[in-house]
Amino acid sequence: MSVSFARTVRNFWRNGIKRSLRQIAMINDTKSGHFMGEDDFGNKYYETDNPEEIHMRTRWVEYKDFHRFDAAHMEPGWHYWLAYGTDTPPSKLTPETKAKTFQLTEVHPINYTFTKGAYVPYNTAKPKYSTWEPKVAHREKVTV
Amino acid sequence: MLLNRPSTKLFIRQFQLHPKFFSTSIILKNRNASLQPTITETDHPVLSELPHTNALDYAFTSIDKLKNWARKSSFWPATFGLACCAVEMMHVSAPRYDQDRLGIIFRASPRQSDIIIIAGTVTNKMAPALRQVYDQMPYPRWVISMGSCANGGGYYHYSYSVVRGVDRIIPVDIYVPGCPPSSEALMYGIFQLQKKMMDHQTQRMWYRAY
Repeated sequence: MSVSFARTVRNFWRNGIKRSLRQIAMINDTKSGHFMGEDDFGNKYYETDNPEEIHMRTRWVEYKDFHRFDAAHMEPGWHYWLAYGTDTPPSKLTPETKAKTFQLTEVHPINYTFTKGAYVPYNTAKPKYSTWEPKVAHREKVTV
Repeated sequence: MLLNRPSTKLFIRQFQLHPKFFSTSIILKNRNASLQPTITETDHPVLSELPHTNALDYAFTSIDKLKNWARKSSFWPATFGLACCAVEMMHVSAPRYDQDRLGIIFRASPRQSDIIIIAGTVTNKMAPALRQVYDQMPYPRWVISMGSCANGGGYYHYSYSVVRGVDRIIPVDIYVPGCPPSSEALMYGIFQLQKKMMDHQTQRMWYRAY
């Protein structure tokens, strides 16, 4: 993070007050760099080549959803880029260079836990074992 | 009875118009994706999902938020490391993932903790001890079940000496899948639990019940 007061002031100057405060709320840090692209959900991806930034902390995402952001909102290709799997972001890939992936859905599904789309498991098969139903043994009253 | 009240009808009307609950208005312009699941016309709003209409709604919502924020920001788990999952749990506290920056501090005593992380295989022999530790935790308390073994027995599901899921002993809030789950997966589970904490609506529901 290499936090210094001068760096924070510089980033405030470059990003503006609103975006800097948003960054502090989301990633506990201010960062300035160049815009790399935006995915279908509207999350924005950035990279910086500033030498004062720590190694492997030069790429970040600014989520569209401020209040309930989630790593599952990132699309797989962008996540791969963000985790330094590749230097070419998905927006720069041509159709020939794009890896063909097995996709269950057309659009990347986010994590629907705690929403109306949450998965609810149910069982249609008869269970193979019965659960333990403990019974308390009768105890004689001990008189001393 | 509740549904026939004029105020509730107004709520429902607003529910239908509210962008948060009306999926078609959420779909972003020039984009093919939406972060909200589709809500059909037959979905009825539950009491907890009604949008805010008056000052009291906003006031109680703010109390809820403040309380939930305080709880999720001082996330003190009791460690219950039982197997290899515990090593991944330790990584979360180590400098790379650094749980201290999130306000997460492992406590050695169940009486000081809000959350218990069950990391590993729960054997029949350990089960009463686990239940006792859970019973010693003060309210409100949450449980994270970490790894296949704690979730449902996992590899030892058919073993004679292993509990087939920790949810047979204590109620579980978050199940983290994996064998073992990576530290990132556990952190993701922690973030999910924090979201769940933020969804608690105690004060608001108390007010709306009247």
